[in-house]
Amino acid sequence: MKLKEVDRTAMQAWSPAQNHPIYLATGTSAQQLDATFSTNASLEIFELDLSDPSLDMKSCATFSSSHRYHKLIWGPYKMDSKGDVSGVLIAGGENGNIILYDPSKIIAGDKEVVIAQNDKHTGPVRALDVNIFQTNLVASGANESEIYIWDLNNFATPMTPGAKTQPPEDISCIAWNRQVQHILASASPSGRATVWDLRKNEPIIKVSDHSNRMHCSGLAWHPDVATQMVLASEDDRLPVIQMWDLRFASSPLRVLENHARGILAIAWSMADPELLLSCGKDAKILCSNPNTGEVLYELPTNTQWCFDIQWCPRNPAVLSAASFDGRISVYSIMGGSTDGLRQKQVDKLSSSFGNLDPFGTGQPLPPLQIPQQTAQHSIVLPLKKPPKWIRRPVGASFSFGGKLVTFENVRMPSHQGAEQQQQQHHVFISQVVTEKEFLSRSDQLQQAVQSQGFINYCQKKIDASQTEFEKNVWSFLKVNFEDDSRGKYLELLGYRKEDLGKKHIKEEKEESEFLPSSGGTFNISVSGDIDGLITQALLTGNFESAVDLCLHDNRMADAIILAIAGGQELLARTQKKYFAKSQSKITRLITAVVMKNWKEIVESCDLKNWREALAAVLTYAKPDEFSALCDLLGTRLENEGDSLLQTQACLCYICAGNVEKLVACWTKAQDGSHPLSLQDLIEKVVILRKAVQLTQAMDTSTVGVLLAAKMSQYANLLAAQGSIAAALAFLPDNTNQPNIMQLRDRLCRAQGEPVAGHESPKIPYEKQQLPKGRPGPVAGHHQMPRVQTQQYYPHGENPPPPGFIMHGNVNPNAAGQLPTSPGHMHTQVPPYPQPQRPQNGWNDPPALNRVPKKKKMPENFMPPVPITSPIMNPLGDPQSQMLQQQPSAPVPLSSQSSFPQPHLPGGQPFHGVQQPLGQTGMPPSFSKPNIEGAPGAPIGNTFQHVQSLPTKKITKKPIPDEHLILKTTFEDLIQRCLSSATDPQTKRKLDDASKRLEFLYDKLREQTLSPTITSGLHNIARSIETRNYSEGLTMHTHIVSTSNFSETSAFMPVLKVVLTQANKLGV
Amino acid sequence: MVSVINTVDTSHEDMIHDAQMDYYGTRLATCSSDRSVKIFDVRNGGQILIADLRGHEGPVWQVAWAHPMYGNILASCSYDRKVIIWREENGTWEKSHEHAGHDSSVNSVCWAPHDYGLILACGSSDGAISLLTYTGEGQWEVKKINNAHTIGCNAVSWAPAVVPGSLIDHPSGQKPNYIKRFASGGCDNLIKLWKEEEDGQWKEEQKLEAHSDWVRDVAWAPSIGLPTSTIAGCSQDGRVFIWTCDDASSNTWSPKLLHKFNDVVWHVSWSITANILAVSGGDNKVTLWKESVDGQWVCISDVNKGQGSVSASVTEGQQNEQ
Repeated sequence: MKLKEVDRTAMQAWSPAQNHPIYLATGTSAQQLDATFSTNASLEIFELDLSDPSLDMKSCATFSSSHRYHKLIWGPYKMDSKGDVSGVLIAGGENGNIILYDPSKIIAGDKEVVIAQNDKHTGPVRALDVNIFQTNLVASGANESEIYIWDLNNFATPMTPGAKTQPPEDISCIAWNRQVQHILASASPSGRATVWDLRKNEPIIKVSDHSNRMHCSGLAWHPDVATQMVLASEDDRLPVIQMWDLRFASSPLRVLENHARGILAIAWSMADPELLLSCGKDAKILCSNPNTGEVLYELPTNTQWCFDIQWCPRNPAVLSAASFDGRISVYSIMGGSTDGLRQKQVDKLSSSFGNLDPFGTGQPLPPLQIPQQTAQHSIVLPLKKPPKWIRRPVGASFSFGGKLVTFENVRMPSHQGAEQQQQQHHVFISQVVTEKEFLSRSDQLQQAVQSQGFINYCQKKIDASQTEFEKNVWSFLKVNFEDDSRGKYLELLGYRKEDLGKKHIKEEKEESEFLPSSGGTFNISVSGDIDGLITQALLTGNFESAVDLCLHDNRMADAIILAIAGGQELLARTQKKYFAKSQSKITRLITAVVMKNWKEIVESCDLKNWREALAAVLTYAKPDEFSALCDLLGTRLENEGDSLLQTQACLCYICAGNVEKLVACWTKAQDGSHPLSLQDLIEKVVILRKAVQLTQAMDTSTVGVLLAAKMSQYANLLAAQGSIAAALAFLPDNTNQPNIMQLRDRLCRAQGEPVAGHESPKIPYEKQQLPKGRPGPVAGHHQMPRVQTQQYYPHGENPPPPGFIMHGNVNPNAAGQLPTSPGHMHTQVPPYPQPQRPQNGWNDPPALNRVPKKKKMPENFMPPVPITSPIMNPLGDPQSQMLQQQPSAPVPLSSQSSFPQPHLPGGQPFHGVQQPLGQTGMPPSFSKPNIEGAPGAPIGNTFQHVQSLPTKKITKKPIPDEHLILKTTFEDLIQRCLSSATDPQTKRKLDDASKRLEFLYDKLREQTLSPTITSGLHNIARSIETRNYSEGLTMHTHIVSTSNFSETSAFMPVLKVVLTQANKLGV
Repeated sequence: MVSVINTVDTSHEDMIHDAQMDYYGTRLATCSSDRSVKIFDVRNGGQILIADLRGHEGPVWQVAWAHPMYGNILASCSYDRKVIIWREENGTWEKSHEHAGHDSSVNSVCWAPHDYGLILACGSSDGAISLLTYTGEGQWEVKKINNAHTIGCNAVSWAPAVVPGSLIDHPSGQKPNYIKRFASGGCDNLIKLWKEEEDGQWKEEQKLEAHSDWVRDVAWAPSIGLPTSTIAGCSQDGRVFIWTCDDASSNTWSPKLLHKFNDVVWHVSWSITANILAVSGGDNKVTLWKESVDGQWVCISDVNKGQGSVSASVTEGQQNEQ
């Protein structure tokens, strides 16, 4: 395919291979005239810019020369590897002169471009060649058998390769050997070629077929084989190329007879020794394999003869040919369509006619090549055989699981060796492991999980911790697995219960000494002073007035004590009034403690006191609000605190068991992209999840978006290091996020499970069709005919069961059941074990992991693949499956035994009951002193509440029918809000609200709410029905302001939150 | 670090030009100058020849597996100017489609991210890039970019599917508004980035100019959820560049020289997690590179055939140099 053309009648020389960009130098050809009959000569340099699709070549410089040229070459003399110096142009002139030009100066437009010249030769210098080993050596040939060797470092005095051959003849070609640097060959039109050895300074062999018809127009050494060369003949009677081997120099090794008329020039590709270009008087440009004689390619040319042809040294697919019609054309031998170019050529030609009218006749010159245009098909085929330079010999590609597929081919043998060369064509599959520490730590984590040795693991981590913070985190994590975790948390925060307890007792004792003896008598005064009034009130049983009087007189202690006698409501009111009056520093704390309003503390404490706030929460918070409070504190630390405090938020989240938030917080603080820092995170998360599983029987099955992302990132990393089994184990298995499901499928199959589809058509279920919901403009709506030979992850209209994990006959839904009830899930475990089922992951619902470790997997279940991870799947054992089906699996038992209420029915879901407090098995020593405090004191109250909670819940009464509407209305509203809320924070708020409203429902069940409150709530519900939330809010305010705070504080604030949100979202 | 776990004797009768594992890493496709494409089951360290696909009339340069959600589909391209799409059906591999729209050797094939549907990009020595889109019922729609790279396109590589304006793919059920892009490298020494316009036409978006000789291969790094896009390019000039674009909106790419080798670099391949680059050079050496913390690319291993161990290959390398 033609790439470029220049309208010049000129000799041509490509810039050396080192040079970038690629230049083509042209020097006006001697002995040829164009239609202008101009005898002006010039040296021009063009740039080959292939990114320009037009046929024009960019002219970089023109130098008007006083010489016309027979030969032009461009040597890399003094060129460095970067090509900064653009070598030297060497020209053979008409009068025995050799001129050296500096191409960089020509390009720069310099006037002084000639480096040196010498006219030692006789007659025109037709032959020039640069030694490729010593680029300062140039050989030249002219008439009278003259051959000179020029040293560009010392240009003045040339050497001769030996005595002149006799009889004297013109030297038409000269060429340095391509393998041996001191060997030179010359040839003359007489048909004789002479090989010179410069070390011996004499001709060593003469090559001739004695036909007298070889009229040498071309000579070229084999690029690879030192003893072989070709000679081309210009004689129409013998238009051949002879291939000679000097080891057998009596006759040509091979004769290429592909041209019909004499050959004018040849060029042997340095990039591929199987490509020899030749052009002849038959107007053909052929590319043949001189080693076989086969013609590989015929260039589509015009009917003009070409007198010079050159391969581009830098771009092996490019060649240039100079034709007698005054044009230099640049071609690619790779074929291709010329459609895009052709139009431009025509345009250019027609537009150029105007100013190319040398005769002034007004008639354009006959367009020489136009006839070809129509005849020529626009598609040009490439070489018959692929050139060597496009045959990729080596490759390495990564594939899934950190595998690297490599292949390489021993360098192409030279043609002689071809027969005996029997290569082994192997492909190697290697495992690439780059993160050793990551893997070993991951391994340790897996072992810890497998052996349930969490405490040990945490301890090791504590010991190895580099920073105090890290140590804290691990200490907090460790506490989760110990008894009395709240107490231990407190200790970690610097509050030792025992110490406090001791102090407390001591004080009590001291106080008791001051108690008045109860045996004496006393007056009951009913005088008109305060005392008297109080007495009167007491005597009439009017506690309320008595308390008011006491308060009025600032007799707080009396007021409180009286209020206790006056009942809960009065007490609460009195407390409130007391707090309103009291201003001491710790009032707020006391307020919170008494009012059980930990939220207040958490929300408003100075963040510097986060430890204290956390301690308070740890001590007092009810199990069902404990997590939320820790969360809240964590969130504040994260949002408001400085960077130091932000990291401390992690500790709060650990206490809260809030894995998702821990992930979020940690990710924010650490650079998570490095495998080891991800490992840091995952270690904590996995341990925390384990802890949460142990302490809160539910809630572990849900994997948050962020956690899922991190876990799958982790699994990806493990997979990339070849630990497929481990990756499967860590991958969250109860999510329907497509990317995780895809990864799971990929991992399963990567493990070498049977590839469904090509072995067996016995797939138990229909394969997935091309998913309809797929994006992609066209393909999404169609399917490849019968491509659905295997199910892929579900999409579109299918509900997304993650059951696409295919192994044989497994019911696809088996894995898809959301583990709402653990027992149910395992009834669908496949009838035969899958050794590496991912269900054995860390993220399983608790029951799965409760399998006793002594259950070893039977030998015959081992897959044939070596498992790189120690993870065994206990599912393999039918017995363990039995065990799993019992909800009270081993580990929960252990915590159950320490639970104060051993009579709890085993299978009953505990919900919040067994949450942190239950799990810690609050030792009696902890709660006792508090209960023994002043009767009716708020502390004792708290604990009574806690302890009575389980029984209450278990014997939950139904909500009275008339109030059921409240529950349904509120829940419905929350659902509506949830579905239209977008930001996660709002969603969390709503979730929280939904939980907290349980308090309201409980109160409704127990019918402890006053009628005013319930009727107020019904009003709110009605306003919700009519979507009049502002009205609801007004009612809300009314209820709160008129009712007893302690009665409503558990649920009214959240109700307000819900109403506000609903109002905001306009649901 | 690098250990050979399976040696597959392909029994190809001539040079192997490409070897690619499928999505799961369980099947190996190879292609060769012997005009054949072979598929092996290489699970568990084995090698079972599944298919020996004949159909090309010249050396086969590259093979590419389609995403398995579309079935078992393999594309191959050859010096015979053809692209063949092979498909497995009932356990037999057969030619499913033949694309003969190029005028010269087809040097590279690459499947688009599966999110876009079945789209295959093909780069040819005729300078054009064609895009085959499956439209159902065995039909493929062809779009062609003519003169993508003068005198030849050597490599094509798709950008990962990323929804604009988000760092991670949203797993929402909605159809994301993907912007389709791919990179190509060619004999004009350029890497070009192409983008599908809203009217479905492909437009040159960017020229990455750093190489001084043919670009032999380009590899767009898989997305790992970061906003940075990365492309590796290698060239006849022995150089490997890593191009990065931190800001998708400005679309400015800056090159960093990974290394200058002494010989042509034929192939670059990213690991799935995009942190390791395998570089295959003309000296028949495969090296693995990783970006260090300070942003420099360091060679972490030589991969040597058969031996696999790093030390062995390093020793040999030294011997060669002596």
